[in-house]
Amino acid sequence: MRPLPLAWQLAPRFARSTRRDAATSFLSAVAAGGIALGVAALVLALAALSGLQQALRAEILARTPQLEIELPPGADAGRLATELAAVDGVEFVQRFARARGWLLAAGVAREVEVVAFSERLPRSFPDAELVAGVEGVVVGDDLAARLGVRPGDWVELVGARPTLTPVGPQPRMRSLAVAGLFKSGRTERGDRVALPLDLAAGLLPAGAPQLEIATGGLDTALAVAGRLRALLPPGSVVRTWQDLNRPLFFALHLERAVMFAAVSLIVVVAALVLVADLALLQSSRWRELGALAAMGAAPRELGRLFTLLGLIVGGGGALAGGLLGVVVARLLDRWHLVKLPAQVYFLDYLPFAVEWLELGTVLGVALLLTFLCSRWGTRRLAEMRPVEAVRR
Amino acid sequence: MSVEVRARGLVKSYRDGERVVEVLRGVDLDVAPGELVAIEGPSGSGKSTLLHLVGGLDSPDRGELAVGGRALAGLDAEELARYRCQTVGFVFQFYQLLADFTAAENVLMPARIARLPLASWRRRAGELLAAVGLADRATHFPGQLSGGEQQRVALCRALLLEPSLLLADEPTGNLDPASGEQVFALLLELARAHGTTSLLVTHNPGMARRCARVLRLQNGALHELSR
Ligand SMILES: Nc1ncnc2c1ncn2[C@@H]1O[C@H](COP(=O)(O)OP(=O)(O)OP(=O)(O)O)[C@@H](O)[C@H]1O
Ligand SMILES: [Mg+2]
Repeated sequence: MRPLPLAWQLAPRFARSTRRDAATSFLSAVAAGGIALGVAALVLALAALSGLQQALRAEILARTPQLEIELPPGADAGRLATELAAVDGVEFVQRFARARGWLLAAGVAREVEVVAFSERLPRSFPDAELVAGVEGVVVGDDLAARLGVRPGDWVELVGARPTLTPVGPQPRMRSLAVAGLFKSGRTERGDRVALPLDLAAGLLPAGAPQLEIATGGLDTALAVAGRLRALLPPGSVVRTWQDLNRPLFFALHLERAVMFAAVSLIVVVAALVLVADLALLQSSRWRELGALAAMGAAPRELGRLFTLLGLIVGGGGALAGGLLGVVVARLLDRWHLVKLPAQVYFLDYLPFAVEWLELGTVLGVALLLTFLCSRWGTRRLAEMRPVEAVRR
Repeated sequence: MSVEVRARGLVKSYRDGERVVEVLRGVDLDVAPGELVAIEGPSGSGKSTLLHLVGGLDSPDRGELAVGGRALAGLDAEELARYRCQTVGFVFQFYQLLADFTAAENVLMPARIARLPLASWRRRAGELLAAVGLADRATHFPGQLSGGEQQRVALCRALLLEPSLLLADEPTGNLDPASGEQVFALLLELARAHGTTSLLVTHNPGMARRCARVLRLQNGALHELSR
């Protein structure tokens, strides 16, 4: 077996012996420590973002229909619903209508979004607790608490469809029992209530008929959306959970990119220290490098030796930082060490989720930066003339 | 594998601002394969400079230089490195040992540079150190060795790969007569055994006398000393 190239044989020894020199060992420590710190910070920051985003996503997606279809006016929603239910991947199809309205209880009126559904409460009203045998309106637990109503109480629902009377248009109003509560969550922008379509008849404006479709999962929903489009009459609009939350997902994505760029700067600065470190190392080893060159080490090989040295220092720092970041993220997540004010956020602690692909990217970027800086730090070697190094 | 050295009209000068120092002003040199040649001359006459040129560490301003029939001027940086690695064994005037490596590892360095399997060469390095009386210094670092000991390590290093061309810049300059004699004997023996062409800078008349020829460098030119 052919021995390793010279650079690989010598680099570990050179790296070890740099510790004897105060100046280079200081610079090496700063460079490695800086890169480690930068990588750890990057891993932690991204893990916090991922954790928060995953929780946020779960929270928001639980309150978003997987697929929503807006049919053109006059379409036969009932017939289409049975047709679409037969499509591969579709688990459940229901008709619904959405309109603005007001909920009145104990003399207080709240503006709400009214969702009227066929068959069963849509899954975008999660964790609902329904009172058996009561037909009526399902209210968010938060709103119910604010209005002081409980399941079984009576409330008034005011629709946006006016009745024309001799004294002018009058709002339509209906007394309904509170049939149950659902968990409204802290991410909702407004209050929502739900009631069966037949109870809402005549209360809501005659808008376009809509369908909500449930599938096996979020990815299936995206796949099914494409299949549905072919079956729908022209003028229909299909919205997936992605379409419904597009601004949010874009904001999360942007946040992550900006965070990555900003925290990466730590690594960049540390990598520049590495350049200084290598330059100093070269000056202090100039004669020995000359001797190696004089004995026949190719200039390229010496360049490789120093690139490798840089990678040992920087790569070691990057790996240590990656490990540190992962371990700290795990600990913080496991023991819920970062608390959040529960009144403000929908979570009472900050979750950390390390995504392996992201960790790989961070390490890759750090190593690439280290490599480039090391290459750049060794450019002087190319112009070395061994005779000058050897002559005292 | 013996090589011949042939130089014609080598000129080398150093420019230091306004001042130009003409060190070599047309040096002719012919060394037959396997020949042992001594070079002497006053300090500053350019002996080291000449050896550096022949060893491919520097290039002449003018003149031709060929080793083993190959002109050094035609080689690029990588080829020159290969020439130094595979053909030349150099004992530098100031040893130039690597401080982070022990005596034995320093001797082994040419094998590392040539990427040869180290196990067998490690044994050879031990033998060479023993032959110059440094068996018990093999694991010492250069900083722990005397000047003369370092010089002997440097010689072992130059001899390790049995080079075709040995260039030794005052290889015994720091040694007492007895050690100098021991080292010179080893050099002589190995050079004979491997047909090494050797160019030796020395101020020692006794040693010079035992070389095939003695050349004197003075005023930038080489003269054969008649004996
Ligand atoms: N890089 C350089 N710049 C300027 N002058 C130089 C340079 N290198 C060598 N010289 C000069 O060239 C001359 C020859 O130097 P060289 O080292 O070859 O002498 P030498 O014969 O080996 O001397 P010594 O016996 O003292 O080792 C000296 O005068 C020296 O000052
Ligand atoms: Mg000299």
